Amino acid sequence: MTDFQIIVTVVVAVSLVVVLIFDWLDMTVAGLLAVIVLIVFDILSRQDVLSVVDAGGGVLALLLGGMVVARTLVPTGIFDYVGVRFLVLTRGSGKRFLLGLILLIAPVCAFLPNATAVLLLAPVILRVAMALNIDFVGPMILTAIISNSAGMLTLVGDPATFIVGSAMNMTFVEFIRRVSLGGLLTVLVLIPLLPRLMRDTWNVQRDLPADLAPPRLKEPVLGAFALLLLGSMILLFLFGEDLPTRIVPPAVSIIACAVALLIVYAVKVEPVQKVLADIDWKTLIFITSMFVLVQALIKAGFMQTAGNGLYEQFGVNRLGVAFTLLFGIGLLSGVLPNIPLVAASTLMIKGYLVTAQLVPEEALGVGFDTWPITTLPVFVAMMFGGTLGGNATLIGASANIVSGGICAAHGKPVRFVAFLRYGVPVTLAQITIGAIYVLALYYLI
Amino acid sequence: MTALTPRTATWRRLWAVSLIGLGLGLAVVEAHAGETLARVQTLRLLRCGVSDGRIGFSYQDAKGRWAGLDVDFCRAVAAAAVGDADRVRFSSLITTARFPALRSNEIDVLARNTSWTIRREAGLGLQFAGVLYYDGQSFMVRRKGGAQSLAGLKGAKICVVRTTTTEQNLADYFNSRGWKYQAVVVESLDEAAKAFFAGRCVAHTADRSALAAARLNAPGGPGGYIILAGQISKEPLGPVVKRGDEEWLTLLRWTLFATIEAEEQGVTSKNISVKASEKQDVKLMRFLDANGDFAKLLGVKPGWVIRVLTAVGNYGEMFERNLGRGSALKLDRGPNRLWTQGGLMYSPPFQ
Repeated sequence: MTDFQIIVTVVVAVSLVVVLIFDWLDMTVAGLLAVIVLIVFDILSRQDVLSVVDAGGGVLALLLGGMVVARTLVPTGIFDYVGVRFLVLTRGSGKRFLLGLILLIAPVCAFLPNATAVLLLAPVILRVAMALNIDFVGPMILTAIISNSAGMLTLVGDPATFIVGSAMNMTFVEFIRRVSLGGLLTVLVLIPLLPRLMRDTWNVQRDLPADLAPPRLKEPVLGAFALLLLGSMILLFLFGEDLPTRIVPPAVSIIACAVALLIVYAVKVEPVQKVLADIDWKTLIFITSMFVLVQALIKAGFMQTAGNGLYEQFGVNRLGVAFTLLFGIGLLSGVLPNIPLVAASTLMIKGYLVTAQLVPEEALGVGFDTWPITTLPVFVAMMFGGTLGGNATLIGASANIVSGGICAAHGKPVRFVAFLRYGVPVTLAQITIGAIYVLALYYLI
Repeated sequence: MTALTPRTATWRRLWAVSLIGLGLGLAVVEAHAGETLARVQTLRLLRCGVSDGRIGFSYQDAKGRWAGLDVDFCRAVAAAAVGDADRVRFSSLITTARFPALRSNEIDVLARNTSWTIRREAGLGLQFAGVLYYDGQSFMVRRKGGAQSLAGLKGAKICVVRTTTTEQNLADYFNSRGWKYQAVVVESLDEAAKAFFAGRCVAHTADRSALAAARLNAPGGPGGYIILAGQISKEPLGPVVKRGDEEWLTLLRWTLFATIEAEEQGVTSKNISVKASEKQDVKLMRFLDANGDFAKLLGVKPGWVIRVLTAVGNYGEMFERNLGRGSALKLDRGPNRLWTQGGLMYSPPFQ
């Protein structure tokens, strides 16, 4: 990149964030314009496009599959059914509703892709919120935040967590033994925050009708096939990578998408075209645009510069590096998609560890599996930053963007600043928990 | 989900079309022959990672000008790729920072007296463009009272640089013979030499060329120290690139071959203009790529061989200027002679 192209990239990135903060332009239009500028100034090469596909293709596949499967289930009335069940369990209490969200979403998102889980659970949450006569925007934002936070519960909870964990060859069990407690604490810290952040919802108490009963399910054939598909999809998410022919989650999602459309076509409850028309293409475009922008920023060399700076600034001081990563990546994850960011940061941190002679040069390769335990706080800090930083803003994580898209589709667009009201306090609290956990790891292991 | 109004449906279709358009727009982004070469040519600048100061290979003279065999190689690549040997930005890298710098695209090529090993090439995602200098690890000792052979180093304190193949070779050689030794591990060649001259160890182990360079700055002059005969390792030093850009690797590889082939055909920086006019010598004309056929294949401007040789000369000239008789090191060519003279330097045919 020339210096001019680097300047253009920075101007585009900053402008996009400013435009979104002040809500001057539709976020998707703004994202598309940013990409166009990058193309016009010859900032993107074919290799960059491949990198974008590499980094973002999986996320987009997960989203598209989740959207199609969730939409396929709509005519069956299953969301009304589960929604009423959930409503009964709330006993009309906003407090029970919000706490129920944590209990419902955290375990699901510890294993399933966040945005997909949000897509599947959103219709239920909307129904309960409407039945309780409360504004659904807050609970939908909370849904996204819980889903992101739960990403630290298991190795597969969030792509960012998985990227960092895989980089140091951490197993599922090792993750649970060394990191999950920190993830659990970041979920639990939401509970004392809820009465303040969502006071109106927290204090709601409605009288529910005494004869409240779940509606009957409709379209039994469609329902049976769609639920079978959903069950298979979840099983493949969990075990697909252990099959002789490895099926990764994005592939599972695309397979499920294709099968769902086949079911829709076969049962003839509604046209395939109508299902596809309901897909949130706007969200998919925006997320693609953000991946392109991050690739341009990586290409501009900011990550490399940061890597060099770490060694020059901190030498072999792992704690200093860990905190810098926690806060730095946390901050960046708030305005940029965390997956490409964390992928680039992983490379950067490996470079730092080799330069600082904390690991041998073989650690730069993919086959290295003897990471010293002393490097764990650095990697865990990256996980916390990458996974939790996205909670701060509307565009910080795909689950947030999806939640915002769902709210907009139901007549209540979420403004950037409105999201900050919930996101910033939560992120500050969670990053603080993360810092304490990293500190504990540093001194205790 | 709520029913769609016609207006909403229209918008969704529009967004869907936009997504397809975005994909197509990105897909038609211009395809370059090689990402690195394209970047180097666009910026008209080669970013070359070199050592933090090693006489003979890469160091800055009193006026701040870079010199050395590795430096010459980078200048040759710049001459081939962008047409100007001076369009190189040298980045001085400590040993441990060299591979991270390459992996993170901070540099386009690493020419930093780096040994070609299977672990590095297969494990680190790197590729070596060839061998620029066949070196070998040996030991420097004091002339008076020092060991006279490798066996004389049993039980000795030996200065060695951390996290290098040198450190591993030392351990392998001594352990395989059941010899005891005490490694005094330091961070750089400079520190190793200082520790040795200060008496912290009785021997300093490194590549022969590095020992010869260190000896130049020995207190009391180089005459007080000897480099033991024999070597304990093969150290084929060569330029390295990141794996995945074959076009770039090919250009670097054939730039190196061009300097070797030039020596074999008797073309030097001094006679290149005369040789280039000898149109009747078909083999020579083909090597000099008079028609620009190879240039087209490599993605560079015609005349690249002439530019390379004009800028740095043939391999023999590069060697003698930086390491051989014309240099302070006065090293023998040894295995770095041409294959026609019993050495290992060999270029595949320019055909």
